Amino acid sequence: MAFKYETSDFRNGLKIVIDGNPYIMTYFQFVKPGKGTAFTRTKLKHMISGSVLERTYRTGEKVEAADIEEHEMQFLYDDGEFHHFMNTETYEQVAIVSESIKNEAQYLTESLSVEVLFFNGRPISVQLPNFVEDTIEYCEPGVRGNTATGATKPATLACGAQVQVPLFVEQGEKIRVDTRTNAYASRVN
Amino acid sequence: MHLLNPRFLRQRAHILEAIRAWFSQHGYLEVHTPALVPAGAMEPHLQPIQVGSLQLHTSPEFAMKRVLAAGLGRIYQIASCFREEESGTHHAREFTMLEWYRVGAGTPELMDEVESLIGAAARAVDRPPPLFQRRAVSSLIRADQRPEDWFFEWVDQVEPTLTAPTIVWGYPPWQAALSRTIGTVADRFEVYLGGMELANAFAEETAADTLRERIQDADATRAASGRPPHPVDTGFLDAVDRMPRCAGIALGIDRLVMALTGAQTISEVQVLPSPSAESIT
Repeated sequence: MAFKYETSDFRNGLKIVIDGNPYIMTYFQFVKPGKGTAFTRTKLKHMISGSVLERTYRTGEKVEAADIEEHEMQFLYDDGEFHHFMNTETYEQVAIVSESIKNEAQYLTESLSVEVLFFNGRPISVQLPNFVEDTIEYCEPGVRGNTATGATKPATLACGAQVQVPLFVEQGEKIRVDTRTNAYASRVN
Repeated sequence: MHLLNPRFLRQRAHILEAIRAWFSQHGYLEVHTPALVPAGAMEPHLQPIQVGSLQLHTSPEFAMKRVLAAGLGRIYQIASCFREEESGTHHAREFTMLEWYRVGAGTPELMDEVESLIGAAARAVDRPPPLFQRRAVSSLIRADQRPEDWFFEWVDQVEPTLTAPTIVWGYPPWQAALSRTIGTVADRFEVYLGGMELANAFAEETAADTLRERIQDADATRAASGRPPHPVDTGFLDAVDRMPRCAGIALGIDRLVMALTGAQTISEVQVLPSPSAESIT
């Protein structure tokens, strides 16, 4: 018998199963029409495809908890079809379809430590650190005196990821990037 | 951790100032009725907070109707109200309610008033007065459903589409509460602003016998879900027959401030947030 959550357990980051698929809760809201009973409105993100589902639950309704395990693993290599990782404690190796971790893959560099998520024992995705630091391999030169707020230019990092950076940032500099939004965070000295 | 937001709190004060000025211009008298009452609610899904043998009011409705029966004319009140089991981004156990009654009026006049009042509140924080569309409930949802299915569809399908300022009017009769009914329609409306249910208005029912039947129906609904009946405010029932024809409306001040300032949670616009049940016990 699978573990079930009640609506009072709802919180951001809760992992649940709907129609056999793993979802993570990204939003929940208590709703109570003035004359009616209480509900919880949610937004759920499919943990493999990333597609978003909106669902409303009646108070007291139960949902199945997803059997998700996280293991710290090292990125090994990418063979074009699969990304391969190794558990540094057990030496167990797993492969994830590259297509399903497209966004995360751009930040993976050899031997980077990441959390690999397993759903029912099967590896489904990787969780990067929220911030990574990397060197800018290429960008257009900065424009002296241009202090326009919000103006950006594209930059390519050594790992291959493309991010928008402020105009004053120069090629060869090391920067911090938020991997959840692919946004520039700061320069690293 | 709650950080006071001085900008939102200043805007809240300006909005309240504008609201009091609006009522004064429109011939309303401010009243203040006790928060501690014999019966805090009549509707089946409201849970009052019990204080000894009394309850905290979930709205000042019963008391204000006794004031109306005494012949005071147009009245309004800005009161802290309390509802057990309600907490979230748009709900707090303690919140501020504005309630007003216009003697001799029906719901159409009250719709014009609430638009005018919200416009005045908006101007107080340099925002344009919202323009409201008016939609019949029957154009949004099928009436012939069980109450629990009706509310699920409302929350799941209808409410998310009410993103523009909207006045929704004409409810199924089992949602009449304390409003009068015309044929099979409850003469009520609700106001949506910023996607939130902001206000609820009634053309008031003034027949004590009809209200006694509604109270029995509400208690039966409560009993079906294992809830005790609400206590009865006999002072209200004794006075209600003497109430003049009038229309009344209750508006959530915290949500109005949220909608006009862009605050995302109710706790940001409360001067101090309502403590959660966990932090009290």
